[in-house]
Order: sequence, then C-alpha cells, then structure tokens
Amino acid sequence: MTDLLILVPELVLVAVALALILVARHVRRAQIAAASVVVAAAAAALSLWFFPLDNPRTGFGGTIAGDGYARFFNILFAANLALAALFSVRHLEEEHVPPAEYCALLLLASTGMMLAASAVDLLILYLGLELMIVCSYILVGITRDRLISNEAALKYFLLGSFASAVLLYGIGLVYGVTGATDFAAIARGLTERNLARDPLLLVGVALVAGGLAFKIAAVPFHAWAPDVYQGASAPVAAFLAAGSKAAGIAAVVRISSTAFAPERAILSDILVALAALSLVVGSLLAIAQSNMKRLLAYSSIAHAGYALLGLISGTAEGASATMTYAFVYAFMTLGAFGVVVALGQRGEELEGYRGLAYTSPVTAALMFLFLLSLTGIPPTAGFAAKFAVILSAVRGGYVVLAVLAVICSVVSAFFYLRVAVLMYMTEPEGSAPGRFPVAVSAALAVAAVVTIAGGVFPDALTAWTVPP
Amino acid sequence: MTELSEYLGILVALVLAGAFAAVNVGLASVLGPKKPSRVKSEPFECGQVPLSLPVGRLSIKFYLTAILFVLFDVELVFLYPWAVAYRGLGLLGLVEMGIFLGVLMVGFFYAWDNGALEWQ
Repeated sequence: MTDLLILVPELVLVAVALALILVARHVRRAQIAAASVVVAAAAAALSLWFFPLDNPRTGFGGTIAGDGYARFFNILFAANLALAALFSVRHLEEEHVPPAEYCALLLLASTGMMLAASAVDLLILYLGLELMIVCSYILVGITRDRLISNEAALKYFLLGSFASAVLLYGIGLVYGVTGATDFAAIARGLTERNLARDPLLLVGVALVAGGLAFKIAAVPFHAWAPDVYQGASAPVAAFLAAGSKAAGIAAVVRISSTAFAPERAILSDILVALAALSLVVGSLLAIAQSNMKRLLAYSSIAHAGYALLGLISGTAEGASATMTYAFVYAFMTLGAFGVVVALGQRGEELEGYRGLAYTSPVTAALMFLFLLSLTGIPPTAGFAAKFAVILSAVRGGYVVLAVLAVICSVVSAFFYLRVAVLMYMTEPEGSAPGRFPVAVSAALAVAAVVTIAGGVFPDALTAWTVPP
Repeated sequence: MTELSEYLGILVALVLAGAFAAVNVGLASVLGPKKPSRVKSEPFECGQVPLSLPVGRLSIKFYLTAILFVLFDVELVFLYPWAVAYRGLGLLGLVEMGIFLGVLMVGFFYAWDNGALEWQ
C-alpha cells in the first residue's frame, strides 16, 4: 500500500480523467472541463507536500522512485497541465472540440510525463513516454475538420512510432547485454562485469539516446516539430513544446546520470553532437520562418540544444542546470504560445504582430518579455538558466561548444527581436484584438511571473533542482 | 554461440522449404502451357457474371465495430496469464484485475454512451 503513496499525483490525474470520460456526454461547457483539470493539477502538486516521502524511496519492485527529482518534474508537469488547460478554453469553444475528451487526454498525457520522470526502470520509462505520446497524437489531430491538423497528427504518429520502436530496440539491446532493465542494476552490471566497451551496448546506448532525442526534438530527430506545432492548435502546441520536451529531458537526465553513468565517454560524444546540431540548425532555420508557431518550433529545437549542454560534463551541477533550464523553458514557451492563443488567428502569422504595441500594449509587453527570456537577456529567467548551462559546459572543458552556444544565442536574438520590432516599430494594421478570456489572461500572468521571478531570484529555483 | 548451433536444423529446413516452393513456382511458369483468353482474365464469382465492382463501398460503421472489437479483444488477452497465475497472486491479483477491468469498463461505457454501439 505504501507503494501507492509514490504515485498519488499520477493517481489523482487518472481518477479525474476517468471521471471526465464517464460524464463526457454531459459536459458541454469548456470552462467546467478546464476547471476540473486545473483542480486536478493543483491537487496533484499539493499532494506532493501532504505525503512527505523519505528521500530517496522506490516502490513497485524498485521501478518507480518518489525522490526529489521526480517531485521537481511532477510540479513542472502539473503547472504545464494547468496552464495548457486554461489556454484551451476559448479554442475548445471555437473549434467545437468535445471538452471532456480533450481534457481527459491532457490529464492522461501529463500522467505519462510524470511516470517518465519517476521511472527508474527502462520499461516503466517507455510506458510513461508512450502514454504521453499516444495521447499527444490524438490531441494534435483533435480538430478533425482541419486538414493541416490531420496531416500533422499523421506525421507525428508515423515518426513518433518509429522513434518509439528505436527506443524499445535500444532498451532490448541494453537488457540483452546487462540482463537488467532497472537503472541501478544496469550501472552495477556495467562497472562490475566490465561491459562498458561491449559494441552491442554502445549500439543500445545510441538507440536509447536517439529515441529520447525525438521526444525533446533534438536534431537530427527534430523533423516532426515544425509541422506538428503548426498543425496542432496553439494550446496543444504549447502543451507539447513545454511538456513533451521536459519529459524527454527528465528521462535523459536520469538515464545519463544513473544507468549509463559508467558509459559517460560515449554518452558525452552523443550529447555533444545532438546539442551542437540542435543549436545550429534550430537557430539558423528559425530565421527564415514567417509563421509564429513554426518560429517557436525551431526555437524549441534550439532550446533542446541549450538544455543538453548541462548534461555533457556529467556533473551534478550540470544536471541541476539542465533541470532548471527545462523548468524555465516550459514557462517562457508556454507564455509565448499563450500570446499566440490570445491573439487567435491573427497570432499565427508574424505579420499579425505588426504594430501590436499601439493597439494592445499589455499583450505586446508580455510577448516582449517572453521573447527576451527566450533570447536569454537579463533580468529574465531565460538568461539565468542559459548562463548556468553554458557555465557547466565551460567547466566541463567544452569551451568550443560553449562559444557555439553563445554565437547561436546572438543569432537567435535576430529572429526573436524581429517580432519585437514588428510590434513596436511598425504602424498597426487592422483592428485591435478583442478581449481575452479571463482564463487565458490568468495563465499568461502566471507564466510572466515565473519568467521574471526566475530571473530576479535565480537561486530560489536551484534549491529545488535535486539531481537524481 | 553454442546455443545458436541448435537452430541449424531449423535453418536448413527453412532453406529447403523455400527452395522447394521457388523451384515449383519457377517450373510451372516455365513449363506450363499458356493460353490466355478474355474470359480467363475476367473476375469470377461462382460461375456468375460479376454483378458489382469487386471493391464496393463499405459502411464506416464496420470500421467502428472492428476497432472496438480489436480494443476489447486485445485487452482481454491479459486475463489469461492472470487466470493461470491466479493462485500465486491471490487477493492482490484479484484487486488489480478488478481495477484493470474497471478502467476498461469506463472506456466501454464511454463508447456505449456516445452511441458507438447503435447501428442506425
């Protein structure tokens, strides 16, 4: 029974999701469904304090951990879930999406993310990531009458199932070599039986890294991100950009610092390649975009590269910098997508931001804040987080990579600030955007507060980032 | 690698079976007489002249029924290992299977409630 206490946040989300499915036919109003999701997310986050667990503790036969690391990511996923639900309210009504089903899928996808962050066993990790991504496929294609949405869902499904197969094949090879699926036993087997140079194991490590790189949209496993973010409705894209990436990062951090820690050398090489490619490709391709969601997609690819920088050195400080980065990135990208949601159809194209500062100054100021944070300019959270990951790369001796990251950061300033120039330095076109629903404003306010607070008090968050 | 040598017999049988089939098909296509005619290339329906196109239009309702069948049929596969290991699992196994079936029934209820089982 005590094992169940570790899973209380997940159980809360699943219970609310099942309840929503049961009453789905009778839920007509999006506000009710979204409110129940917010309550569930809050309950899941609060339950972490009501059931204090001795640290670190595992349950279910040593496959799921209830440690501070899992708790950190559970809070992130709960916040992501609540903000995504708030953003969705107007979208659900406009697109005639069944609200209860949509919210149940959000809840189940978040459950999968939480499971992936708590997993200390390759199979549970796979299960969590699959639960997340299967729900995501449906969420991307939930606006059935929009062609672009169908296309995005199909692409996501085909590429995603292939990536899952790659991950599973990697897990199979690792199991074949070490005879274990739980992280501690894999690490033990590698050091005690001196398997670190086994070629099959290297293939397994590379396949697992590739499968997880798909989830965080790192180059060369990034091809899905622009099409999926553009085809999905803006709230779903926000949910995926923040949540799917954080879940992937949670898995990569835990695996690289526990199971594959004895394989540090080969893992570092893979991570360096992924990070460098993501930084360059993401930053360069974002310049050419004229669609806001595609621009944010390429930005999310570049940010996957920044997040991986912390992991390359393999130190605890680096892992904690990557965790901070995932947290901060989630809120600033949720905020930027939130402005896209708030502006509606107009927010999809870059041209829609023309002269926004004159017609709705508050929205423009919020967008400016999130863009500054995505660029990494003080005093926003993006700066503190980016500084920490680049510092950890320098300390690990990867100076060239750190210089590349700084250069890419400068390049990224070009396309982020181009939006700011459009908002502040061009004449407004068309009418002012209408008033936003209260839910969207509230979610934007939360994202803005976290983005500012994370920059002003960067150490406050670091105390929570317990490396696995 | 000693374990793999035990499969050698299976490999030999596989190669022989494949070769036998290939040789027969190849011989038939080389030696067999070929007298094509128009009647021979027509689609054939129990001696009748075909009434409709071979690939007609199917109602979308079959798709829904098939999906529901696959879903619940595959889920029920999990009941068999549970039944085999029932004595060892005891009360805990019973409760867990109850939860599993409960979640499954929620999905079934959803499909029912939304009219997936009505054939209108």
